[in-house]
Amino acid sequence: MRNINPFWRGILYLVVLGLVGYGIGLGLDFVMAGELRFSGSVPALFTLLFGFTAFFLGAFGFQGIARGLVWQIVGTLAGGLLVAGIRALMGLPAFGDFFFTEPSWVVGGLTGALSFIVGVGVVDDWIKWARGMDTPEHHEEHYHGWAKYFAVSLDHKVIGIQYTILALLLISIGGLFALIFRTELAASQLQFLTTDMNLFGQNGPQLYNTLMSLHGMIMIVSILLGVSGIINYVVPLLLGAQDMAFPRLNAFSYWIAVPASVLPLMSLVLGGFDTGWTGYPPLSTRAPVGMQMFFLGVFVAGWSSILGALNVIATVLRMRAKGMTAMRMPIFVWAAIATSLIALTATQFIGLSFQLVMFQRLLGMGFFDPAKGGNPVLFQHLFWFYSHPAVYVFVLPGLGVISELLPVFVRKPLFGYRWIAMSSLGIALVGFVVWAHHMFTSGMNEYLRVPFMYSTLLVAVPTGVKFFSWVATIWKGKISTPTPMLFVLGAIVVFLMGGLSGPPNATVSTDLHLHDTYFIVGHFHDTIFGGFVFPFFAAIYYWYPKATGRKMNETLGKLHFWLMTPSFFTLTFGMMYVGLIGMRRRIADYDPALGIDAYHLVMTIAGYLIAVSVIIFLYNFFNSLKNGEKAEGNVWNSRSPEWQVPSPMPAHNYDQPFEVVGEPYDYGLKDSAYVRFAGTAKSTHK
Amino acid sequence: MAHSENKSSALMQGVVIFVYLAVLTGIEYFIAVAFDAVPLLIVAAVIKAGLVMYYYMHIYRLGEDDGEDQHSYRYKTGTNRFGLWLFLLSDSFVFAGLMAMRVNLLGLTRPHLNQLLGLAVTAILLISSFFMNRGETAIKYGDRKAFMTNTFITFLLGLGFLLGVVFVEWRQAAHEGLTADFGNPASGPMGAVFYMMTGMHAFHVLTGLIFLGIVWNNARKGIYTADQHWGVEAAAVYWHFVDLVWIFFYPALYLIGTAV
Ligand code: HEM
Ligand SMILES: [Cu+2]
Repeated sequence: MRNINPFWRGILYLVVLGLVGYGIGLGLDFVMAGELRFSGSVPALFTLLFGFTAFFLGAFGFQGIARGLVWQIVGTLAGGLLVAGIRALMGLPAFGDFFFTEPSWVVGGLTGALSFIVGVGVVDDWIKWARGMDTPEHHEEHYHGWAKYFAVSLDHKVIGIQYTILALLLISIGGLFALIFRTELAASQLQFLTTDMNLFGQNGPQLYNTLMSLHGMIMIVSILLGVSGIINYVVPLLLGAQDMAFPRLNAFSYWIAVPASVLPLMSLVLGGFDTGWTGYPPLSTRAPVGMQMFFLGVFVAGWSSILGALNVIATVLRMRAKGMTAMRMPIFVWAAIATSLIALTATQFIGLSFQLVMFQRLLGMGFFDPAKGGNPVLFQHLFWFYSHPAVYVFVLPGLGVISELLPVFVRKPLFGYRWIAMSSLGIALVGFVVWAHHMFTSGMNEYLRVPFMYSTLLVAVPTGVKFFSWVATIWKGKISTPTPMLFVLGAIVVFLMGGLSGPPNATVSTDLHLHDTYFIVGHFHDTIFGGFVFPFFAAIYYWYPKATGRKMNETLGKLHFWLMTPSFFTLTFGMMYVGLIGMRRRIADYDPALGIDAYHLVMTIAGYLIAVSVIIFLYNFFNSLKNGEKAEGNVWNSRSPEWQVPSPMPAHNYDQPFEVVGEPYDYGLKDSAYVRFAGTAKSTHK
Repeated sequence: MAHSENKSSALMQGVVIFVYLAVLTGIEYFIAVAFDAVPLLIVAAVIKAGLVMYYYMHIYRLGEDDGEDQHSYRYKTGTNRFGLWLFLLSDSFVFAGLMAMRVNLLGLTRPHLNQLLGLAVTAILLISSFFMNRGETAIKYGDRKAFMTNTFITFLLGLGFLLGVVFVEWRQAAHEGLTADFGNPASGPMGAVFYMMTGMHAFHVLTGLIFLGIVWNNARKGIYTADQHWGVEAAAVYWHFVDLVWIFFYPALYLIGTAV
């Protein structure tokens, strides 16, 4: 037992305890409902919670994440039972269709998330502070190897990797959901998600809606986590800081993202929901309990994002190396700042809008119910006030990665550094005043349409600045194309497609036709892949050697790229085309008479090819940890400070502080250095 | 320059600012009763907010130079200060969202509420800010006993506000037919908006009280000194922030527009 690999021990635990959970759930459900419902919600829920927890329990023992998850289960049950008890005293039904009633689930979900935090141990120091005790600034690591990444650590590098791994996990889960419903779309009519199937208390089309909605939100959460992953790992290194400004808060921001990921997954088995990721009322006020779990999950994830952003801004303001003036900061830092400003402020609005729907459901407060004097369009305003700027949270760091890596691989200065730096802020600011372009057909006041159309088109200006700079940077450069550069180039082209398909949606006259069609789906997949997914992969391939001291395999990396990119274009151009000729979004079936069956089949195949390419990536990612080619020096020949010290990065970052003595991107200029390390005459080369 | 030369002038400044705030609140009340002029109410609230942010929350300290040494207590406190203000900025968006909701759903109408009670809880919260300021000034000059007394008074007043809103105001309002689920359709969305806004604010008051309790208890153990008392500063600034929110919520719920 001791000798087997932690991963397989985890799997063993998962299977055994998952079965135990299934049995308990089945039993409880039987007691409540009086019949054995083998594919019902309650057994599935217990299987999910027990299995998920058991994996970590088996792999690393009762510590870190496993302890947090056990606490979360206990906390959820305790909160739920408490409410059940109160309801019983008040003479209301104590239990409901999904074991608990809705108020029980909401309170339980919240207490569960809080319990997780306490259980995992990330608030220990704060509790000590509240009791007037001092805590040491830097903790030594208690764990080694993989276990380090599944327990609380205050090191920004560990946290960055934790974020990245959780992001990859969620991308995989969200991708799996997509494959399931993409398969159903391969041909018209319902093939396997039929009306007479039943799983977790949902029939086929309902399950389709749930999977589609969860796909959206899980991907969004995974993007937020991926963004935080890169920022956390890279920003303090670029600034020459030892850590983030608030290491404990940083750990906290990461760890609340874990219950935030579990909660939406719980909604899958608690009846699901059918609103898509936007959760518009009135549909969201009528959807099953799963809706509430989704809201809670987003709410908690929102706090993760807010506190993370706060930390980034404070770090950049206060922790820069000597000589690093605003206009000598690496361009990625500018992107991180712009992103964080949005995340810090706007995120409150999605939290608030979802909270109001939660209260409407629980207490009957009719904020969005016209019958009670409420206004459903108000929800859309509150929601999009966050969710449009949020799309820039997704893409600005990615665009920053493009600008950061491009000069390294073309060996030329970044064209128009100041313009790029300011364009990130410009996009962020303009992004705050365009939200109603999602509502042209919503019945909002007519006079709002034209101003929002123009403000939206205005975003194209700072975005265009970035494109010009990239093209001018590449122009006559000495281009080399290792895998990270391939993804950078891919990102530029894909994002261009996304950007070009934006203005038709922003123009009122055309949007009235395009709204809620697959054209929109094609548009935002292009922007998100170009602005986040491709740059994320580029960043991983690029900084992997920094984190591990090994390179990822080039051949597999190229295979990943050349498989993913054409498949992706096939998929999204297909989406745009079927959308133009009438395919609606968020729907399990379509009319064979549209004549688009063949397109859908091709798109489904393309979807599977993307999945294959991601599996190749994941294999490469984990396999290279052991078998990758050793790369301990400045593998990409970069000027950036983190590459001037050996890889993997030493625990406390730089042994010698450095001073900024030149421009960051003067590649190819003789005798120009960006940083100089104290105590040595050595400075960066090339 | 906002820096006070010595303790007594610092305390005096607190008194003067309090008088300004009290007078302005009185004027607001008068404006509402006499002319119903919304722009004037907004101006008054903005002036009050500015006074609180500058003199009680000393926002100007964000610009203080901390020297070079990034490991000193002073520098770290400066960083913490940035962190706290960023948090407040973020939090104020919650309240801004609630305010937007209020404007959208209620426009120039407002719920029918007990005006005297509203003025009373507003005054209590304002007075609590005054004592908070005295407490913070005291610890800045190393006077631990005065700090504890003043913080204790702040705590009691805050508790008074919380109980006043939740147990007196809410009850009375509900009694008069203002219910959260619009049990009384004639009152429109009034109830939901009223309970949501006051409830969210009350939740912040509650967290502020917990914060004050922790700081008070730590002061009892003697861990704050004239030079090192970031915990006190944070609690005080947060407490004033809660007051700041009420500076806008009070006119929004009690004074603006016509009661229906
Ligand atoms: C030139 C820039 C862009 C323009 C003009 C633009 C315009 C629009 C418009 C008008 C819509 C609403 C269409 C409708 O629902 O009828 C839309 C949807 C969307 N856009 Fe963009 N967009 C741009 C860039 C981006 C970027 C950078 C992202 C980032 C990731 C993005 C993500 C999305 C998403 C996710 C939706 C769909 C939201 C939903 O679920 O309804 N867009 N875009
Ligand atoms: Cu938008």
